[in-house]
Amino acid sequence: MFDTAMTLNDVMFLAQGAGMTILVTLIAVVCGTVLGIIFGVVRYQVGPVWAAPLTFFLDVFRSIPLLIQLVLTFAFIGTVMKIRISGFSVACLVLTLYTSAYCAEIVRGAIESVPPTLRRASRSLGMTWGQDMRHIVLPLATRVAFPSWIGLALSVMKDSALVYVVQVTELLKSTQILITRLQEPLFLLMICGAFYFLISFPIARIGGYLERRWSND
Amino acid sequence: MESSHMDSNTRQGEEKDMKISTLTIAAVSATALTGPAFADKLDDIIASGTLRCAVVLDFPPMGSRDENNEPQGFDVDYCNDLAAALGVEAEVVETTFPERIPALVSGQVDVAVASTSDTLERAKTVGFTIPYYAFENAVVANEGVEMSSWEDLQGKTVGATAGTYEAIWLEGKIDEWGEGEFRPYQNQADVFLALSQGQLDATVSTVEVAEANVASGNYDGIKIVDKAPMVPDYVGLITLRGEYGLIDYMNLFINQQVRTGRYAELYEKWVGEGEPADLTIQGVYR
Repeated sequence: MFDTAMTLNDVMFLAQGAGMTILVTLIAVVCGTVLGIIFGVVRYQVGPVWAAPLTFFLDVFRSIPLLIQLVLTFAFIGTVMKIRISGFSVACLVLTLYTSAYCAEIVRGAIESVPPTLRRASRSLGMTWGQDMRHIVLPLATRVAFPSWIGLALSVMKDSALVYVVQVTELLKSTQILITRLQEPLFLLMICGAFYFLISFPIARIGGYLERRWSND
Repeated sequence: MESSHMDSNTRQGEEKDMKISTLTIAAVSATALTGPAFADKLDDIIASGTLRCAVVLDFPPMGSRDENNEPQGFDVDYCNDLAAALGVEAEVVETTFPERIPALVSGQVDVAVASTSDTLERAKTVGFTIPYYAFENAVVANEGVEMSSWEDLQGKTVGATAGTYEAIWLEGKIDEWGEGEFRPYQNQADVFLALSQGQLDATVSTVEVAEANVASGNYDGIKIVDKAPMVPDYVGLITLRGEYGLIDYMNLFINQQVRTGRYAELYEKWVGEGEPADLTIQGVYR
C-alpha cells in the first residue's frame, strides 16, 4: 500500500490544492462573517416583519445545496448576464453568501441571548445604542457566538471541496486528478484527509483555547 | 483579428448614417445600444483573449496529465492549435464525458475538444464541426501467427471483450466465414494477455488501445497487422448550436490542420506510426 508512484512533485501539487482550499475558505469566512454580522444585527434590530425579505434571501442560501448554488450562479452570470467570470470569483462569491447566511443566524441568536434587562439597564445609564452594542452586547454575544462560528468556519472549509464544479482546483480536485493518473485511490484519499486534518485541527485547537480563556474573566 | 476589424468598419458606417435623418438616428442608436449582442461567440473569444476548451483528461492518448499534472494529449494540442490560430490564449477546462455538453450550454467553456462522437441525438443540442479525428479499429495478432491483412482472420481463433462493438463484428465475421473460433472475454486486459500467451491468434481493438498496449511492453509477442474495415467512430469539435461563425471557422481550421500535415504530426506524436484515419467519407458531401 505504501509502495507508491507518487513523487515530490505530486505532493507539491496537493499542497497547491490545499493552498487554494485555504484561500477560498479565508475569503469566504472573512467576507461572509462581515456580511453575516451586518445581516444578523439588521434582522434583530428591525424585527421579524421588516426583516422578512432578508430572512427569505438568507434562507434560500441555507436551504439550496451549495453544489446547485455554484452551478446555477456560474451559469447565470455566464449565459444570462453574458459576463465572462472566473470560476474562482464565482466560488468566492457563492461561498461568501452561503457563509453569511449561516453567520447571520449565529449573530442573531447571540444578540438575543444577551438579557434584555441588562441592555435596558445600560440604556438607562445613558448609553447610546452604539455604546450599548459595543460595550454590553459585543462582549457577551461574542462568547455565545464564538464556538458556533468556529464550527461554521470548519464546515465552510470542508464544503469548499464543492467548488471544483466551477473549475477551481482545490484540495479534493487535485486529489482526484492524481487518482486518475496514479490509480491509487485509497492512499491518495488518506493523504488528502491528512491535509484537511492539518488545516482544521489548529483552527479547532485555537478555537478551544480562546473559548476557555474568555470564559475565565 | 479580421472579424473585429470588420466590426469596427460597420460601426463607423453606422456613425455616418446618424447624420442623415432623425429617423435613422433613432433606428441606428437602437442598433448601437444592442450592439454587443450582435457580436457572436467568435468575436467574444477574440475580444476576451482566451479560448476555453473542454477536454476530457482521463482518456489517453487524447487527453491525460503528465508527471507535473499538466494537461497533455491529442485534444490538448488541438485546443492549443485552435487558440494559436485565433491569436488567443488557450485555457483547458477539464470535464468528464457526461459534463462536456452541460459545460458548453452553461457557458463555462467556448468549445469542447473532447473526442465527441457526432451523433444525430447530440446534434439536436450542440453544433458539430466536420470530423477532426476518427477512431479506427486495428487487427492485432500474435507474432507467431502468419497474417498480413485483416482478411487473414479467416479460420483463426479470435477473441474480444464480450458485448463490445469489436466482439459483435468479430463474431459476425466468424459466422459469415463458417470457420475459426470466437472467444469472449471479461475485459480487454484478459484479451491481450490471452493474445500474448498464444491462446488467441488475433483480436480487434481501437488503434489507440492497440498502439498503447504494444508500446507498453506489458504484452510480449503481439503486433498490429492491419486496420479492420469497420465504420470508424468519427468525432467532431462542438460548440453552441447557433454559433455558425465559430463552427465555420473551426471547419476551416480542421481542413487546414489536415492539409498542413499537422493532423498527421499529432497522430504520430500521440497515437503512433502509421496513417491517421481518413476524415472524408466516400460518396457523400461533408
